[in-house]
Amino acid sequence: MNRRKIEELIRLVEESDVSELTVAGLFGSVRIVKGSTAAAPATVPTQQVSVTAPAPTQSEDSGEAEISAEDRDSGLVPIVSPMVGTFYAAPSPDAAVFVRQGDHVSKGQVVCIVEAMKLMNEIESEVSGTVVRVAVENAAPVEFGQALFMVEPD
Amino acid sequence: MFSKVLVANRGEIALRVMRACKELGIPTVAIHSEADEDSLHVKFADEAVCVGPAHGGLSYLDVKAIISACEVTGAEALHPGYGFLAENADFAEMCRAHDVTFIGPTAEMMRALGDKAQAREIMSRSGVPVIPGSDGLVEDVEEAAEIAETLGYPVMIKASAGGGGKGMRPASDLEELKTGFQMARTEAEAAFGNADVYLEKIILGPRHIEFQVLGDSHGNVVHLGERDCSIQRRHQKLIEESPSPGVGPQLREAMGEAAVRGTKGAGYLSAGTVEFLLDSGGNFYFMEMNTRIQVEHPVTELVTGVDLVKEQIGIAAGERIQVEQDKLGLRGHAIECRINAEDPERDFAPCPGTVTEFYVPGGPGIRVDTHVYSGYVIPPHYDSMIAKLLAYGNTREEAISRMRRALEEFVIVGVATTIPFHSAMMDDPEFVSGRFDTGSLERKKKAREELVGAV
Repeated sequence: MNRRKIEELIRLVEESDVSELTVAGLFGSVRIVKGSTAAAPATVPTQQVSVTAPAPTQSEDSGEAEISAEDRDSGLVPIVSPMVGTFYAAPSPDAAVFVRQGDHVSKGQVVCIVEAMKLMNEIESEVSGTVVRVAVENAAPVEFGQALFMVEPD
Repeated sequence: MFSKVLVANRGEIALRVMRACKELGIPTVAIHSEADEDSLHVKFADEAVCVGPAHGGLSYLDVKAIISACEVTGAEALHPGYGFLAENADFAEMCRAHDVTFIGPTAEMMRALGDKAQAREIMSRSGVPVIPGSDGLVEDVEEAAEIAETLGYPVMIKASAGGGGKGMRPASDLEELKTGFQMARTEAEAAFGNADVYLEKIILGPRHIEFQVLGDSHGNVVHLGERDCSIQRRHQKLIEESPSPGVGPQLREAMGEAAVRGTKGAGYLSAGTVEFLLDSGGNFYFMEMNTRIQVEHPVTELVTGVDLVKEQIGIAAGERIQVEQDKLGLRGHAIECRINAEDPERDFAPCPGTVTEFYVPGGPGIRVDTHVYSGYVIPPHYDSMIAKLLAYGNTREEAISRMRRALEEFVIVGVATTIPFHSAMMDDPEFVSGRFDTGSLERKKKAREELVGAV
């Protein structure tokens, strides 16, 4: 699900009487809750969007991703997938992840792997900055143009 | 039956395939470019995967992205539609290598029949009459001149890797042959990556008559009658109909048998079309065979009652063809008009844009296959066909009258379309008489230009 669709959904919720909206798709589900940041149970893979609260509160180990409604205004840049495949946060199952939330990345730095047709493709960042959040669950399917990381550029 | 089918195409044909899958209870996956996010085929599918940016070469032609999409969605089979990768043998092979059943013929069949010179040979060996021409490829202009002398001018220099009306250059005498031969080779290299050419005699004033065939993995092959596709502009079909006003029962039987013989001789399976040229003397000649479902397939569906896409899916799943030759007959008459977002007043220039109003005709005997809806933005990156309008009647007259009525009802606001052209054709005496050929439209155009010039 891309940012534009999520923004549309946020607007829909804001403008209506609906207090909670969940939309599920192949590439994850989005749950929008009006009011405070609700602590949602960790379901795989889920992006939780809070319409009013700005700060991310999920721990980096839970694997939960979050895209704040203010991403668009705060100038965050997404690192997007250039291909269809499966997202892996680490070079191998027992290795450490390439980047975690809070890390600084440089342009050209490998940030993850997208596996397509049994080939592991290293994905490089196009931007230098700080990883504000990891937008995809490990081993989740991703499509062309899908946001993988949200980065605050230097 | 397949647990999930990925449709590797867009627009109306993607919708068409999804409809067949839905009727068969098979979940569908749509692939789309970024430009097609709001496309109807994406909305209709059970799942959708974005495979690339707008440019076709980076999305709908991206083999890796499409196979990857099959993997992440768990699609068991793939339908390629028409165009794009539908006749790409390498792609068919890759599907097979990745355990995805390709709904269509095998890579080997595609290669054999996609090579136009080889296809001629396969047909000839099966006793199918072919257009008089060279015995295989022509290496140099001296050889071409010799062959042309024997055949008699005018001749057509054709790219072996071409097809669908592309990669052809006529020569009406030795001079034109000498200059045209090398140019044809250069053009073929540029367009298809293959400079091989062969020669064919040009049949004057022919009808383009194509036979729909189906072949299954149990050795059954049937033909479902002909479609007359003679109304063409620059070798692109505009109007198709079945049965052909120029084909009677005996000729149909002879041509149908030839089509089946050729299809069996090629060991072909799935849906295919054997194209013939029919000259004014009632002689027919094999031209080429298309190894895919075609744009105009609904014409045959209307006069036979057979769902060709469902048959394709069944055949790919190892089932037998559901119809028997002796039970197949053409009933009634069907005409298809291809509605393109093109301006007939400006030499059919493409007109992408936003369709602000879209009202589709209905009523008895009308079928519309389209992916367009009110508010849809026609992207500039793909072909300009926006709808196929079909009219069915008990007789040809009734089909024409229904088509005339349906064209009047069809409302498309926001882009120029070829509807006025089709309306004019339904009133055209030559078309209504049924006595036309592949040169008819060009002659009309010339006549109109001369008239305008004389004024």
